[in-house]
Amino acid sequence: MAIFVDENTSVVIIGGPAGISAAKRMAEFSHLNNKPFYVRAFVFPPDAGKSADVSVGNQIVSIPIYKSLKEATDETDANTALVFVAPSRATKAAMEAFDNPQIKALSMITEGVPEKDAKLLIKKSKETGKIMNGPSAIGVMSAGQCRMGVIGGEYNNLKLSKLYRAGSFGVLTKSGGLSNEIMWIISQFADGITTAVGIGGDAYPCSDFVTYLEMFENDPETKAVVIVGEMGGNLEEAAAEWYGAKKRRIKLIGVIAGFCQEALPAGMKFGHAGAKEGKHGEGSARGKSEALKKAGAIVPETFGALGPAIKSVYEDLITSGEITEKKEIPVDELPNLPKKVEHFVEQGDMLVEPLIKSTIADDRGEEPAYCGYPASELINNGYDIPHVVGLLWTKKLIGPKEAEVVKRIIMLSADHGPCVSGAFATIMAACAGIGLSQAVAAGMIMIGPRFGGAVTDAGKYFDYGCKNFNDDIPGYLAWMKKNVGPVPGIGHRVKSVKNPDKRVQELIRHVREAKLDTPRLDFALKVEATTTAKKDNLILNVDGCMAAILTDLGFPNESLNGFFILARTIGLIGHWADQKRNGGRLIRIFNYLVNYAVPSKKKVPPLEK
Amino acid sequence: MAKLLEGPAMGLFEKWGVKTPYKIVISDASQIDSLIDSNKWMNDRKMVVKAHEALGGRFKLGLVKIDLDIKGVKEAAEEILTREVEGLKINQVIIAEMIPHDEEYYIAVQSTREGAEILLAKFGGIEVEENWDKVKRTFVEVGEKPTNSQLQDLAKEAGFDGELVGKIAEFAAKFFECYDSEDGQYIEINPLIVNPKNNELTALDAVTNLDGDARFRHPDWNFTFSADFGREYTRSEKEIMEIDSKVKGSVKLIEIQGGTTALLPAGGGASVFYSDAVVTLGGTLANYSEYSGDPPSWAVEALTIEVASLPGIKNIIVGGAIANFTDVKATFAGIIAGFRKVRKEGKMDGVKIWVRRGGPNELAGLEAMRELKNEGFDIEVFDRYTPLTDIVNMALGK
Repeated sequence: MAIFVDENTSVVIIGGPAGISAAKRMAEFSHLNNKPFYVRAFVFPPDAGKSADVSVGNQIVSIPIYKSLKEATDETDANTALVFVAPSRATKAAMEAFDNPQIKALSMITEGVPEKDAKLLIKKSKETGKIMNGPSAIGVMSAGQCRMGVIGGEYNNLKLSKLYRAGSFGVLTKSGGLSNEIMWIISQFADGITTAVGIGGDAYPCSDFVTYLEMFENDPETKAVVIVGEMGGNLEEAAAEWYGAKKRRIKLIGVIAGFCQEALPAGMKFGHAGAKEGKHGEGSARGKSEALKKAGAIVPETFGALGPAIKSVYEDLITSGEITEKKEIPVDELPNLPKKVEHFVEQGDMLVEPLIKSTIADDRGEEPAYCGYPASELINNGYDIPHVVGLLWTKKLIGPKEAEVVKRIIMLSADHGPCVSGAFATIMAACAGIGLSQAVAAGMIMIGPRFGGAVTDAGKYFDYGCKNFNDDIPGYLAWMKKNVGPVPGIGHRVKSVKNPDKRVQELIRHVREAKLDTPRLDFALKVEATTTAKKDNLILNVDGCMAAILTDLGFPNESLNGFFILARTIGLIGHWADQKRNGGRLIRIFNYLVNYAVPSKKKVPPLEK
Repeated sequence: MAKLLEGPAMGLFEKWGVKTPYKIVISDASQIDSLIDSNKWMNDRKMVVKAHEALGGRFKLGLVKIDLDIKGVKEAAEEILTREVEGLKINQVIIAEMIPHDEEYYIAVQSTREGAEILLAKFGGIEVEENWDKVKRTFVEVGEKPTNSQLQDLAKEAGFDGELVGKIAEFAAKFFECYDSEDGQYIEINPLIVNPKNNELTALDAVTNLDGDARFRHPDWNFTFSADFGREYTRSEKEIMEIDSKVKGSVKLIEIQGGTTALLPAGGGASVFYSDAVVTLGGTLANYSEYSGDPPSWAVEALTIEVASLPGIKNIIVGGAIANFTDVKATFAGIIAGFRKVRKEGKMDGVKIWVRRGGPNELAGLEAMRELKNEGFDIEVFDRYTPLTDIVNMALGK
């Protein structure tokens, strides 16, 4: 037997994410007891029509989510409501539950419910004769039968506190944390609990100690009840009055918090919302303790003495033959929670074939590490973006000279105005209302053999030429003509010897001043000297210049286009933001910009059948 | 419970038709001159100046000055605004008209589990405490209003007669409306007087405790609540309250001067048993604190820094019951980080830490605490098998 909730309880949870996490805890309890899951429905309008997945053991159970309590009770056999919604809506939700004929009892976990609302709920509870646990309750635990809410804590604690089978003690506490502690104490000093109720720490919990005491009195399996009270209000006094009014079957053990109040400045308020002495000393811990003692309850002087007091009651019950010792189930015979794959991998008991392999970055610590170097340490030691590029692209921590060159290359290539293919594509996309990542991707798509994508090839063939034709430029050009075609990195649409590319000049000046060893650049310049002699615009262009220098710095050939992509991303993002800021309108080019070289209008022949 | 200072409390009374004296609240005596124009009553009435702070015993502290003309008001305001009480500066004064009167009465509304009680007495001031048994009461069920005849009966029972019976009943109805509509918990007027100028019942003082949890349905509550234990909040308390209002779960701090045992326990219930244990065993509390509802570790860290920095402490009690859903490892990570920071500032010499806890991830949390020993912390760590408050006995050598 148990009180309030038992194996006939079926639950509808009113509330969203918090309710779903509670359901997961409740499912663990079902698994421990090897009983069917008893949460039937959720009420959460934003997700109405969907369902929430909860794992019961190694089975996934889908619990439907409804728009209203009425729908939930029409569709399921839920008979008990568990309320998790915010304080501004909790009262209305609870009132609906009181009015719903299928709902027999409620528990409200919501904290911060206004006192006036709590009092209206008390009135409603009396009118309807339904019990409501809370507000600010931790829930109700009936050992071996039903768990309402997260009361009982994590799975291992359920086992340690013997919550898989009924004992002989009832528990009533205002505090949620202490309900767990008391269940634990009872499992250590006696034979465990029948039902534990956290009634809530507010000033006006809906159902009071007396309501539950009467239920315990009528539950033959409960032989004794432990009450944990606090200063403030008069619920403990009412409990004492009830207990003293006539001979009761159950033993009552009570302990009250708040004696410290006597040694503190007046009005200083500790603990729960309801824990406040009255203006004239009503509801003091001492007054409550005295009242319980007078009524015949066992009242240990301190919380520390509670365990031994429970033990002595338990031993009396055994001696008198009212109860016999429970046969204990060895812990290793109780079901375990199914473990996740991660657990076995961590323990080294399972080998999983990896899906991918990574050799550059690791996100498993507190922060990402680039080739082993924690990002924050790189920052704090003065390293810069080019070093990160070096680490992630070549797995090398580059030196200061190399970093400076990389930085300059990025800065020089970051943008080249709105007219080039990449920027224009991004602008077109931005003006069509496309989002940032797709618009930038549109610009990226333009990067290829004719626009910005010649760096890799230029690097490849300057490197080849430098190694094989260093003193034979005509031989190199002939080889290129035969095997490749025009030399990548040579030639520009608008720039020429007379109108040189400033970016190229700057880069060359810098590497010369930095006294870097640049055999490929030197080779490329020899090639340029020959080609410009033939035609004015066959100059070393910025792609070719970058390619030669980066290859000289040791960047692998396949990474070279990356420098242009990286740098130009800065510009493309800028163009997208610029259009957004200016409210750029949809672009549609004019007819006169198109050469309509189309056939004249023709009659459409009938479709052959 | 959330207490209001006199100024906003009287403002709330006026909203529901409960008359109060003319008054202004200022923070600088130089504001008085510019306020006289719009407050003509200041020219021809005797006035009272009071410190507008959450302080008990203002009269004894010389923070109330009476029977003043405008010149006296300026001097009194200037003087009070330079005062400091227990290190806290007086920031505001309230200037109110003094209303001469013959009789003083008392009225209050007190929330009860079933509804509310209206309390009434035909005497006021300190006589109320002395004659508490003679204060008359009537009960109003939650959701209901008192009837006029019920209030007239109450007035008669309290000893009022003649036209005052009707007046009191009418006044009490408005006063109850204020309590009920503003989510009051306890509101009181003492003294309540009849203003000879207009023959109207007027509240000379206001004690107003509102339900802070109801704030969401009172968009016009433009005031902050003040401490209700006879002093203003300290800097640390305000800081923790600020964090508390922002995070999931809660962190709480009240400082107590001169104590040597600091509390850093989890849970609104367990924390009080820890306080009780310290007091019962003859220790002195340096603070009250608790964290609960699985607060983020940075909030627990901030609380830890305040608690571990309390002056003169010898022990810190990091206690707690077996948590339902507060993650022990995560909250302990906050506590550990806090301890490390405070120790770096050299503040934890000679301070011993006592830990007892259970709950989700308890093994990992307790292990992390134990490791502090290797860093030179003086710390003892216990698990669920040590009863809740035994660490207090050990700390106090009992």
